[in-house]
Amino acid sequence: MAGAETATYDLGFAKWVAGNISGADKLSMCMQCGMCSGSCPIGTQMDHGPRKLIMMIRAGMRDAVLSANTLWNCTQCYNCTVRCPRGIPVTEILQGLATVAVAEGHAGGEPTARFSEAFWWSLAKFGRTDERLVTSRFYFSAGLAEGVRKSRENLAIALRMIKARRMHLGAPHKIKRRKNLQAILAKAREIEARGAGEGD
Amino acid sequence: MAEAAKTAVYLCAGCGIGEAVSIEALEAVATGESKASSCRRHDHLCDDAGVATIQADIDSGAAERIVIAACSERVNADRFRFDGTPPIRCDLRERVAWSQPPGAEDTQMLAADYVRMALAEAEKSAPPSGQADPGTSKTILVVGGGVSGLTAALESARAGYQVMLVERASDLGGHGAKWSKRMPHRPPYRLPQDNDIGALIAAVTAEPRITVHTRSRVVSTAGGPGRFLVTLDSGGTTIEETLGAIVVATGWRPYDATKLGHLGYGASPDVVTGVELETMLGAGELACKSDGRRPAAVAFIQCAGSRDPDHLPYCSSICCGVSIKQALMIRERVPDSSVYIIHDELRTPGTAEAFYRAAQAAGVIFMKGKVSAVGADLTVTVEDVLLGETVAMAGLDLVVLATGMMPNATAPEAEAIAPQPAPDIDPLAPILAAGATVPEPGSEDASEDDSGPEIGSILNLQYRQGPHLPILADGFADSHFLCFPYETRRSGIYTCGPVRRPMDMAESATDATGAALKAIQAIEAAAAGTALHPRGGDLSFPRINLDPCTKCRRCTVECPFGAIDESDDDYPVVEVARCRRCGTCMGACPVRTISFENYSVEMVSAMIKAVEVPDEFAEKPRVLVLACRNDAIPALDMAGISGTRYSPFARVVPVRCLGSVSALWISDALSTGYDGVILMGCKAGDDYQCHFVKGSAITQERMGKIAETLKSMMLEEERVVTHEVAIADARRAPELIDSFLDTIAEIGPNPFKGF
Ligand code: SF4
Ligand code: SF4
Ligand code: SF4
Repeated sequence: MAGAETATYDLGFAKWVAGNISGADKLSMCMQCGMCSGSCPIGTQMDHGPRKLIMMIRAGMRDAVLSANTLWNCTQCYNCTVRCPRGIPVTEILQGLATVAVAEGHAGGEPTARFSEAFWWSLAKFGRTDERLVTSRFYFSAGLAEGVRKSRENLAIALRMIKARRMHLGAPHKIKRRKNLQAILAKAREIEARGAGEGD
Repeated sequence: MAEAAKTAVYLCAGCGIGEAVSIEALEAVATGESKASSCRRHDHLCDDAGVATIQADIDSGAAERIVIAACSERVNADRFRFDGTPPIRCDLRERVAWSQPPGAEDTQMLAADYVRMALAEAEKSAPPSGQADPGTSKTILVVGGGVSGLTAALESARAGYQVMLVERASDLGGHGAKWSKRMPHRPPYRLPQDNDIGALIAAVTAEPRITVHTRSRVVSTAGGPGRFLVTLDSGGTTIEETLGAIVVATGWRPYDATKLGHLGYGASPDVVTGVELETMLGAGELACKSDGRRPAAVAFIQCAGSRDPDHLPYCSSICCGVSIKQALMIRERVPDSSVYIIHDELRTPGTAEAFYRAAQAAGVIFMKGKVSAVGADLTVTVEDVLLGETVAMAGLDLVVLATGMMPNATAPEAEAIAPQPAPDIDPLAPILAAGATVPEPGSEDASEDDSGPEIGSILNLQYRQGPHLPILADGFADSHFLCFPYETRRSGIYTCGPVRRPMDMAESATDATGAALKAIQAIEAAAAGTALHPRGGDLSFPRINLDPCTKCRRCTVECPFGAIDESDDDYPVVEVARCRRCGTCMGACPVRTISFENYSVEMVSAMIKAVEVPDEFAEKPRVLVLACRNDAIPALDMAGISGTRYSPFARVVPVRCLGSVSALWISDALSTGYDGVILMGCKAGDDYQCHFVKGSAITQERMGKIAETLKSMMLEEERVVTHEVAIADARRAPELIDSFLDTIAEIGPNPFKGF
C-alpha cells in the first residue's frame, strides 16, 4: 500500500491478554466472522466493534485496544457472547480489558469510566448510590468548569425531581453496618491483589 | 468386401416405435431399395426370443452383417452382443419415436432415412478383425519411489502384477521420508500424525513381485502398452526390459525460494521455507539457524510464491495444512511461543477444518493479510485486511515461507536427446496446450544424491512427437482433472501424485491406487488388442494405405496421443497399442487414406448420401448433424428419453470424435442437397471435455478454414456451424438443432438441391 503508514505493535500482547484476562484464552479461536459486531446494538457508537478489537489484540495493538471506547460503550447485553459461533465470551473479555484500561490509566477521559468511578465511590462509601452525589461527582470529574456548567444545565430537572419526590434532600441514604461492607470490600481487594480468580 | 455379405435388418416395434412409424414401410425400405438380404420385425427385440432369433440367423449363415433398428447404441449393448458379428445400431427410439410425433409423415421419413443410413454403414464397413500381434508384457513400470510410487507399486503387486520400481535417489521414500510428522489423515483429524512411510517402504521392499531399482533413471522408452521397451540406467548399468504399462509418480519439487527475495529469503538465515523447517523440526530441538536460540515468535507466510502471477499461478493446496501442522509442532515444542499464520485465503477443505480449529485452540493466531516485505531483521510488513491497516510485525525469531509445489513432469530444456526432429514438427507444439508454458525447473531440481545421468526427460519417449509427457498448464502433466485424471496423452502411461496436480500424502496414496488400476487395465486391454478409454473394447484401429500417402505428416502431428511414428522412409506408422481410435488422423488426412474397418470417410459419406433429400418445393429441409458419440449423442438420447420434440429434418450421424470429421463429409452433404451441417463436439481448450483431448479443438481449427470452401461453392457461411455440447445439454442440443433450422429457413434452401 503506497503511502500508508506502517505501525509496529507488541507481538507479546495477545499472549499477555490470553493469560491475564478471564475468558481471553479463547481469543485465538476467533475466526473473524463478525457475528459479534453485527449483533452489537451499540456497535455504531464504538471506535471498533468487538470483532475488530479482537484482531487488534492479536496484532498486538496494545494502546489502541486499551483506549478504545468499545470497552466503555459496551452495554453488556451479551448479544455477542450468545451468538459467537466459536463460543468466545466477548462481553467478559471486554470487561476484563476495561479493568486493565483503568488500572493503566487509559480510561481517563471516558465518561463511562468516570461515571463508574462515581458510582463505585458512592456504593463503597454508603453501601448505596446517592443520585445527587453520584451525578455531581461525575460532572465535576470532567473538571471544575465543566462540572459547574453541567450542574447548572441540569438544575431545573433536579428541582422537578425533588418536587416529584424522585430525589431527596438531606443526608445520603446509608446501609446499616457499613463496617461489614468495608470488611467485605477489603477482603475482595486482598484476593484480587493475590491474583487469584473469583470464587477463591 | 461387403458385396457378398448377407445383411439382415431387425426392426423392433416395441418401446413406442411401432406406434410412431409404419414398420411395414420400413421393411420395404430395407429389403427394397436398400437391398438388405432379409428383414424381420419383432415386438420386443431385446427380449430372449428377439435375441434368439438374431442368433439363429447368425448361426444359420442367413445373417452375416446385422442391423438392429431399435433403440440407441448406448442401451442394450450387452443384449445385442453377438460374438464375431457386431451389430450396426440404428436408433429408431430415442431419435425417432421418442422425439417425434407418432404417425407423422416427417417421422416416417426420418425413420426410413436412418434405416437407409444403417444399411449404408453395413455395406461400407466390416467387423474389425483385431490386431495380429498385441504386446503381452504384464509388468508395470513405476517411476518414482515416493509415497505415490510406493503405493502404486504395492497396489499393483497386490493385484498380482509384477512391478519394476525405479527411483533416482539411493533411498526410497522421496520427500515424504523427510517429514517427522504428517498432516492427520485419520479421525479425529486434529493433531499431526506420525509419519508411517517407513512401513510403506518396508512393505514394498518385502514384496516379492516388486523389483526396486534405486539410483536409476529411465533412459529411453519406446513401443506402447503391452510392449514398452524401456532402457534403464541403474547406477551405471544398462538394463533393458519389456513392460506392459507405466505409472509416472515423479512427484514434485519445492518452488525455488531464492526467487522470493521480497519475502526475505536469503537476507537472514532465519527466513526458511516450509521444507527447511521440516528438517529443523526433524533434528529434535528447535533452534534458529542464526544463533541457535529457541524461537519464541514465529510467523508463517502462506502462498509464498503461489497464486501469484509472477511466480506460481496456482494453489499448491497443501501449504495451509503443512503450516498448520508445523505451527502446532512449534506450539508443542516451545509452549510459550507466539505463532502467527499470515494468510490470504486459508484453504482447509474437508477434515482439514478440524485441524485448523485445533491450531486455533492451541493458540496459533491466524491473520488475514498480504505480506509486502520481510526485512533482514525479520520484520514482516503485512497489510492486514481485517484491521484495514498495514502492520509491521517486529520481534520475530523465525519466518517460515510456505512455498508451493512444482511438478517433476518434464524438463523441456533437454531437447538435445530428442530423436532428430524434422523441421515441420515442433516437438513441443503437440505437447503444450495453446498458451501453456512450462515453468523453468528450479536449480534445486537435481537433488543432492542424484546419481543417475542427467537426461532431463522422465521417460525420454522415443515417439515422433517428442520425448516428453504432454503438459496441460503450469508444467503439470495433461490429464482431465475430473473425468480421466490418470490418463496422460500417452496411452498406457499414467500419472499420479503431485506430478499431475498438487496434493498431500494421503491424496497421493489414493491417487496412486487409481493409477495402478489404470495401468492394469491398459495391460489387459493391450493383451486383448483392444482400445483403451474411452473406446475400451474397440478392436478396430487406423489402417493407412500408403500408396496415396504424400508424407504430409498431418496425421503424425495431429494425433492427440502421439501414436503415429514414422518409418525410415518417412511414412506414418501407427503404434496400435498407443492409439485410442479417435479417428483424428482420419479426419486430418488430406488424401483420406486412413480408415478403420468399421469407420471410414467412405462409410460416413455413403451414410450421408443414403438420405433421401426432398426437392426444394417440398419445403422439407435436411440438416446433417455430425455428433460426437461421447457427449453430444448421450445428450440427444437424453432429450429423446425426456420426450423433447425437435425438428424431424435433422439427420444425425454419430462420430467417434469431432477430430475424425473429414471435410469431405461437409462437401458431400452440401452437394447432396442438405441445407446445412451442424458439428457437435465436446468442449475444447485448457478446460477441455473432449474425450480425446485435442480432437474437438483440432476440428474447430479446421472448420475455421471451411468458410473459404463455402464461399468458393457460393454458399453462405452460416450453413456450417460447430457447437460445443456437454453431456448434460439434453435441453440445449435439440434447441441448437431447432434454431439452426430457423437460420436455414431465413437463408433459404441449398441451391445445390436437386443437382
Ligand atoms: S455485550 Fe457489549 S459488545 Fe457484546 S453485543 Fe452487547 S454491547 Fe456489544
Ligand atoms: S462472533 Fe466470535 S468468532 Fe465471530 S468475530 Fe466475534 S468473537 Fe470472533
Ligand atoms: S485414431 Fe486417434 S489416437 Fe489413433 S492414431 Fe489416429 S489420431 Fe492417433
